[in-house]
Amino acid sequence: MMASSYNAKDEDGHITVTGPGGGTLRSKKPENTAFKQQRLPAWQPILTAGTVLPAFFIIGLIFIPIGIGLYVTSNNIKEFEVDYTGVDMSSPCFNCSQNFSWNSTTPCTCTIPFFLEQPYESNVFMYYGLSNFYQNHRRYVKSRDDSQLNGDMTSLKEPSKECEPYAYHDNKPIAPCGAIANSMFNDTLELFYNDPNGTKVQIPLTNIGIAWWTDKHVKFKNPGAGEANQNLTAVFQGTTKPLNWRRPVYELDAAANNDGFINEDFIVWMRTAALPTFRKLYRIIKSPSNGMMPTMPRGNYTLEVVYITTMSKNLGQNLFNQLNPDYPVRSFEGRKRMILSTISWMGGKNPFLGIAYITVGSVCFFLGVVLLIIHHKCGNRNNSADISN
Amino acid sequence: MTWWSPLALVRDALRGQRAREKDLRNLVSNLPYEGLEKRKQPNRYFPGNAIKTTKYTLLFFIPVNLFEQFHRLANIYFVGLAILNFVPVVNAFQPEIALIPICVIMCLTALKDAWEDFRRYQSDRKLNNTPCFIYSRRAKKFMERRWRDVRVGDFVKVISNEIVPADLLLLHTSDRNGITGAVIHYNRFPRALTAGLPVLSSCGGRIANGAYTVEKPDKEKVGAGIESLLLRGCTVRNTDHAVGFVVYAGHETKSMLNNNGPRYKRSKLERKLNKDVIFCVILLFFMCLNGSLGHFLWLQALPTVPPYLVPDSNGHLDSPGLSSFYMFFTMIILLQVLIPISLYVSIELVKIGQIFFLTNDIDLYDEATDSRIQCKALNITEDLGQIEYIFSDKTGTLTENKMVFRRCSIMGTEYPHKENAVRLAVLEESETEEDVLFNKRPQPGKTRWSLDTEDTNFEDRQHQHGSRRKCKVAGNAQSNVAFSSPLISGVSHSLQSNNQMDPLSNMPKKSGYFSNIFTSWQRKPNRNRTISEDSVVEGDIFNLPVIMEEPGDINGLRRCSLYAPTNSDQPATTSDNLRYEAESPDEAALVYAAKAYGFTLLARTPDSVTVRLPSGEDLVFEVLDTLTFDSFRKRMSILVRDPITKNYVLYSKGADYAIMELLGTPYAENLRGNQKKIAADTQHHLDCYAKDGLRTLCFTKKVVSDREYKSWFVNRQRALAAIENREQLVMDTSVQIETNLCLLEVRRYNEDPRNVDTTQDISLVIDGLTLTMALSSDLQDRFVELAKNCRSVLCCRVTPLQKSSVVKVVREKLKVMTLAVGDGANDVNMIQAADIGIGISGQEGMQAVMASDFAISRFKHLKKLLLVHGHWCYTRLANMIIYFFYKNVAYVNLLFWYQFFCGFSGTTMIDYWLMIFFNLFFTSAPPIMFGIMDRDISEEILLGVPELYRTGQGEGAYQGSDIDIFSFGTPLNTISLFNILLHLSIEIKAWTAVHLIIIVGSVVLFFVVTLAYSATCVTCNPPSNPYWVLSRQMADPMFYLLCLITTVVALLPRYTFHVLRNSIAPSPLMQARHLNRLDPLTRSEWIKEWRSLRGGGQVKSSRLSTPPSPTLETPVGMYPQSLTESDIMGDEFTLNVISENHQRHLHL
Repeated sequence: MMASSYNAKDEDGHITVTGPGGGTLRSKKPENTAFKQQRLPAWQPILTAGTVLPAFFIIGLIFIPIGIGLYVTSNNIKEFEVDYTGVDMSSPCFNCSQNFSWNSTTPCTCTIPFFLEQPYESNVFMYYGLSNFYQNHRRYVKSRDDSQLNGDMTSLKEPSKECEPYAYHDNKPIAPCGAIANSMFNDTLELFYNDPNGTKVQIPLTNIGIAWWTDKHVKFKNPGAGEANQNLTAVFQGTTKPLNWRRPVYELDAAANNDGFINEDFIVWMRTAALPTFRKLYRIIKSPSNGMMPTMPRGNYTLEVVYITTMSKNLGQNLFNQLNPDYPVRSFEGRKRMILSTISWMGGKNPFLGIAYITVGSVCFFLGVVLLIIHHKCGNRNNSADISN
Repeated sequence: MTWWSPLALVRDALRGQRAREKDLRNLVSNLPYEGLEKRKQPNRYFPGNAIKTTKYTLLFFIPVNLFEQFHRLANIYFVGLAILNFVPVVNAFQPEIALIPICVIMCLTALKDAWEDFRRYQSDRKLNNTPCFIYSRRAKKFMERRWRDVRVGDFVKVISNEIVPADLLLLHTSDRNGITGAVIHYNRFPRALTAGLPVLSSCGGRIANGAYTVEKPDKEKVGAGIESLLLRGCTVRNTDHAVGFVVYAGHETKSMLNNNGPRYKRSKLERKLNKDVIFCVILLFFMCLNGSLGHFLWLQALPTVPPYLVPDSNGHLDSPGLSSFYMFFTMIILLQVLIPISLYVSIELVKIGQIFFLTNDIDLYDEATDSRIQCKALNITEDLGQIEYIFSDKTGTLTENKMVFRRCSIMGTEYPHKENAVRLAVLEESETEEDVLFNKRPQPGKTRWSLDTEDTNFEDRQHQHGSRRKCKVAGNAQSNVAFSSPLISGVSHSLQSNNQMDPLSNMPKKSGYFSNIFTSWQRKPNRNRTISEDSVVEGDIFNLPVIMEEPGDINGLRRCSLYAPTNSDQPATTSDNLRYEAESPDEAALVYAAKAYGFTLLARTPDSVTVRLPSGEDLVFEVLDTLTFDSFRKRMSILVRDPITKNYVLYSKGADYAIMELLGTPYAENLRGNQKKIAADTQHHLDCYAKDGLRTLCFTKKVVSDREYKSWFVNRQRALAAIENREQLVMDTSVQIETNLCLLEVRRYNEDPRNVDTTQDISLVIDGLTLTMALSSDLQDRFVELAKNCRSVLCCRVTPLQKSSVVKVVREKLKVMTLAVGDGANDVNMIQAADIGIGISGQEGMQAVMASDFAISRFKHLKKLLLVHGHWCYTRLANMIIYFFYKNVAYVNLLFWYQFFCGFSGTTMIDYWLMIFFNLFFTSAPPIMFGIMDRDISEEILLGVPELYRTGQGEGAYQGSDIDIFSFGTPLNTISLFNILLHLSIEIKAWTAVHLIIIVGSVVLFFVVTLAYSATCVTCNPPSNPYWVLSRQMADPMFYLLCLITTVVALLPRYTFHVLRNSIAPSPLMQARHLNRLDPLTRSEWIKEWRSLRGGGQVKSSRLSTPPSPTLETPVGMYPQSLTESDIMGDEFTLNVISENHQRHLHL
């Protein structure tokens, strides 16, 4: 399909060649330029033992220190993790997760004591972790309306089709719509420090600054944001809360700058995890302003989990008939964890990366040695070898 | 325009249809109807001369182009996928987004098509607007018009060196002997009437057999054959102007009918590529099956319905079986990248680039004809790098049709002159200089002559004879100088009459006549040329004693007239300054040779031949008839009337076996002992010549009695005028008179065997008759087996059909890539049968070029074309395709493995837009550039070490590549980009600025686009939120550390593998690349050494022990001229045809 091979062009050719007084016409001689004659100056590296030796050694020499650095940094990061799913009879949360009555109005609380071996300095990040939760399921990931979350009034009233079947309930638009929002994590975690003197001190948890700045300020906006005296209750008038939520979206937090769509817990949840086992930032424990004390000194702590009664309105075949005393993970054999971690420049604890660097560096170094030997043995053959094999 | 009833319109249309389809075409001159409106024109049913080769029109470009594009299966596949994406239950992306790639691809293709079509349009327009002269009755003269104005029924005048605008029935030429047809080498004689134009009133003809009749006003019908037709595209030569009647115009002309549509050949690589694509489809199928099953199992394993399982809009959740069934299709959409959508368009772009470089190669440009290489089939460039067997036409192709008169045998006496050869070369050299003086045109192929370095003192000889030769051949092609002079000095004194014979003979017709005994295909470049003459004169009619008694002049003259008449030579003003244009180089060779001996052909008209004798006397022979060459008779004859004896004499020229056969009877019956000896001697000489690889021709003469002539003439006239069976009758009459000839002489021509490498191994020589048997079905296998073990195989005296069947048999039986080279019409079959057909333009017309895939102007260009460009094109394209597969497979693997972590739900962790851009923009330019410009080994090495070519013949570069990346991280896209680009940079063999710019450009493009996209797009692409991801990532040092380690880990194995392989067991290519790095001096040194080691270099000549001798029994049915060389070689170096003799000197 490419060639234009009728030879009109050939005929042309003859016109020019054989025309009267031939030779005076423009010659077809190709230009003798480096580009057209394919003689551009070129660097032609040949990968042989001799030439790449330095590269291998250099990679080795660079990677090993990086790896050591990473490893050490990672080791300095302290991390503590406690599972509070409550599937075991022995678990303190077992009762709450199993026996909690659906019509009880008082929240069920379970208390999990734990002991920190080391003091945690600087800011401590508190995460909740879920496993086996496929936030990356294709249809789940899609089940949201970004323009609604961006404060678009039209989308608020008419959520996108992507949100189906979590778009409308009782003919009212759901805000925020979609399966992601509907399944928002809603356990309440509280930390107490058991002072050696017996008092139980609640550790202050900051819920501001856990979401990306751009998410909070650009991507997520309450409807009518920017207007003076915005009243979230009025703005969300005519919408209904997601089926699984206890409270409407405008009652997520008392603070106005953390309410509605810009509630940071909500924003964090909405950033769907890539893998089925994930952790999400829950709170930050700020280091005390004086800096003298560690944020969390060595000692006994208690994690209190407050279960809020929710009726799972999963729209599956068993609509409204499932009783979920806590955030439901048993339906997918999931686990719930609480993680405490300090951070460094490299983020959370990640010993793997350091090990990887060290390994790769060593391998390169080793290969370099091997190549050196090879180069010594075979290097001279090249120029005399017989090409015709 | 008056009112026409619809009925009349319909009737008119029907009539037009009938008129066009009728076998017999009745045409009436337009002249009486000049100026009338269209519907009164008699020839209105026939199309005009404007041509249109464009495929599209402006208005319908889009639908037609779409239609064309959907002929490609891949496009349908991708559109199908995109449509599938619109089905809600299975869609993986936004439906609209899925359309982007296919749209981009199709737009690119459409743009390319549009550009090509525009080029065609321009060329059409140029052609249609070419000026020409049409006779106007009103103006009473030829008016200048455009080609597009030419209509059937017009009278058109074509000036010398102009191109014939339509198929014309030749009516008149300014010179009565005018001959046109430089492009298609046939003599054209003005048939019908030479007088005025309008005499002709109707002209009917069928293009099938090319019979035409012209009816004069007096109702007398005159027949005209195909030889009276001037075909569109031919150039008029040798006459100031020619006038013709337009029989076919525009798209009905022969050249247009022969050139319908582009040739689409599929290259071997492409066929293999298609297989791999199918493999990819199978792989895709299994991947999707995996995804589907995985999804099913995953769903099954769930105890209850988890919150992340989203039901459909009605709140209904599909059963695991159904949703895994849907998942299969989702996976297909998701993983479709596995089938490289942009591969096809990339390949096309790469090929365009390769062809650009190919046509711009200055080494493939021929100064003499001012022509570059022409690529007719644009899609098989890489096949050039995989050729295993070359089939070459010998006659003219290898030799470039340069013929020199070498020796002759007259009356059983041979005149060998080794020293003449020496002189000859000098003559050529000196002559070249003269040429410069006399020729405006560049001399093609002069360089060739310089190869015969043995000659020294020709100059003297030349002066001795007093006639300077300029053997320049006008026009491009036939630059042959035949100088046989040296011999004459030796011989001529004793045997003057005989000598004179040589010079006189102009070989009139096609070169076909000449090709005769060909025994050894392998010729040494340094072989001595010898010139000898022998003539055998048959005793009965014209015996030696007689000749001797008579003044030599007369004899010479006779022969002169004999041969000359058919010739197309056009004498210039003085004999010193003669310039001959001949139909074929052999004719020219003879005329020039004759001139060297003092017999100068002065003029040649259809009716007479004027020859100047050495004595200065001019003799005019009356030409009574010419029996042109045809492949059945394999000879041509001319009937002349001797000006002195007034006898009717018939001279014939033809292939030795054709002629010897005719002599058979008289020899056997009534030859005297002496004559028998002559015949035997002649035969012996023929054999000797054959051994030397010379071409031979035999000449005979017959004196025809008055009575005989008259009766024959009557028959002849009847035959010529006949409409039906004209050719048959004409041929019969020819045969009728061509019996009982007597053998005059045997001439030898030497051709330039420059291009042939000689090897010491066994060669197989087979002639056409034997070949017929060898190719029969039961012997085929054994023939191929035998041929395989030979160094080369030589087929002589084969028909064009046999040539192509040899090619086909080899191609089918051995499953190899074949290439056929040829320059003449007789090679067309072969060229079309081979995987790659190469036509050599210039020497024998354009038929071969028209049928070929590549047209080169010199045989020697084949070397660079194959060894350098073939290798490059192949390695580039092969590497690029592998790389494309690699790229896509690597990318798909990312998506595929991710499915294990997302419940096989078809999630992509990369934003759709970026994913699509990734393939379309970020990673597509580097491989294309790689495919166009990479240069693994320099051309010097490739030419110097032709063994490297073998790497392409097997599978070579195009083998699977390993997939070496699997990593998972947030900035996957970035990492895979780095991986893919860096991987490419491992493969790139030669880094130029362009490479660097494009690679760096791709990376920059990626970051710029991604950053811009992620920074600005807050909600523009609903389901995915790329907002600020990359920006945030790039602020994180971990991002860079991750990129670094992943890339290194991913590439390390491949890198190490390359290094180890190159160090421990370097491939030939790699060694050549080492060689490449040496400085040029050492390099050429090395190559020389290498050559001598391999026994290459200038090989000593080895003669074949048993050349096939020309036999009298050769059946008449065999085509005499065509010799096919099929160069079949075994496991040794397979390309030896083109290897040696032109060792390039390296540029230091």
